[in-house]
Amino acid sequence: MIAAIGLVLGIVAGLFLEPTVPTWLQPYLPIAVVAALDAVFGGLRALLDGIFDDRVFVVSFIANVLVAALIVYLGDQLGVGTQLSTGVVVVLGIRIFSNAAAIRRQLFRA
Amino acid sequence: MSDDTPAPAAPPPAKTAQRTSWQQLRSALRPGASKGHLLPALLCALLGFAVVVQVRSTQDAGLDGLRQTDLVRILDDVTERSDRLSTEARDLEDTRARVTGGTDGTRAALEEARERSRVLGILAGTLPAVGPGIELTISDPEGNVGSDVLLDTLQELRDAGAEAVEISSLDGPAVRVVASTSFVDPAEGVEEGQPSRVVVDGTELTSPYRFRVIGDSRTLAAALDIPGGVLDVLAQSEAQGVVDPSDEVTIASLRAAPSPRYARPATDAPD
Repeated sequence: MIAAIGLVLGIVAGLFLEPTVPTWLQPYLPIAVVAALDAVFGGLRALLDGIFDDRVFVVSFIANVLVAALIVYLGDQLGVGTQLSTGVVVVLGIRIFSNAAAIRRQLFRA
Repeated sequence: MSDDTPAPAAPPPAKTAQRTSWQQLRSALRPGASKGHLLPALLCALLGFAVVVQVRSTQDAGLDGLRQTDLVRILDDVTERSDRLSTEARDLEDTRARVTGGTDGTRAALEEARERSRVLGILAGTLPAVGPGIELTISDPEGNVGSDVLLDTLQELRDAGAEAVEISSLDGPAVRVVASTSFVDPAEGVEEGQPSRVVVDGTELTSPYRFRVIGDSRTLAAALDIPGGVLDVLAQSEAQGVVDPSDEVTIASLRAAPSPRYARPATDAPD
């Protein structure tokens, strides 16, 4: 519950503050967002499985974001930033889909 | 990437499992904050914030968020597009030059046609005319001046280069003289000792007559004044002709343009 409230609060804050993304963050933010989404879906799945642990969630969230950012940074340094970003998004997208499928099976048995 | 979602243990019976997951969801949504949920809530808030920020920055995406390769690709696109557009612009400019050139030609032709119509209008008597010329007044108290004298006078004036001619009674009706103008003696004749009358193009004029003539005034005056010329003839007829050169003779009387019933321009007439 409190997490959902936090999500809404964050969205509202983003809408009202209208911040601009600092330049150094611009390549990493999209990937970080996708990675965090992956962590959130994983946490939701764990919640439905009854094995949710907030410590694991926090660690996985932060680790996801950091690793995604690291991969993008590394890709940029190696000159394959675009391709690597695409790869990360594809992998994370697959994971989000599989998590969403697990959640769907848990809730609807379908 | 870390895997925070270990596969669920041996699945419990379906019904139970379903109820359990819904119960889990409900209990999770129940308002009741435990201290351990604070950090995930914070992270979720961060996620929401980041999502909104990213969406916004994508919506008003400038070029500053793009990678070098993307920028190069965009630059290529833009260059190609600019080439295409400049080619198109060149084509359009050519077309415009052609069209305006044509318009100029048309305009010149139209202007020339208007000019010709003005000149012809003066010759045909459909337009008023003004210019230097003379006024010739013929007073004929004895009634000796007939249509033949007036016609001679007109021919003399034409020979002298008259461009527009009007004949009128003094303070009477005026007739524009054109190529087809006729001079006819009145049918009932003129009585002796009365001022003469003449019918010009169906309009009866009485002496004294006045010619308004546009042309070179000196030539016109000289043409009338030659020995045996118009003024001599008038003097022999006991009539009097007075030539009055003027810098500005105005001929205001008009004649309706005749519209030919049978004749029409030949299509291959030379321009």
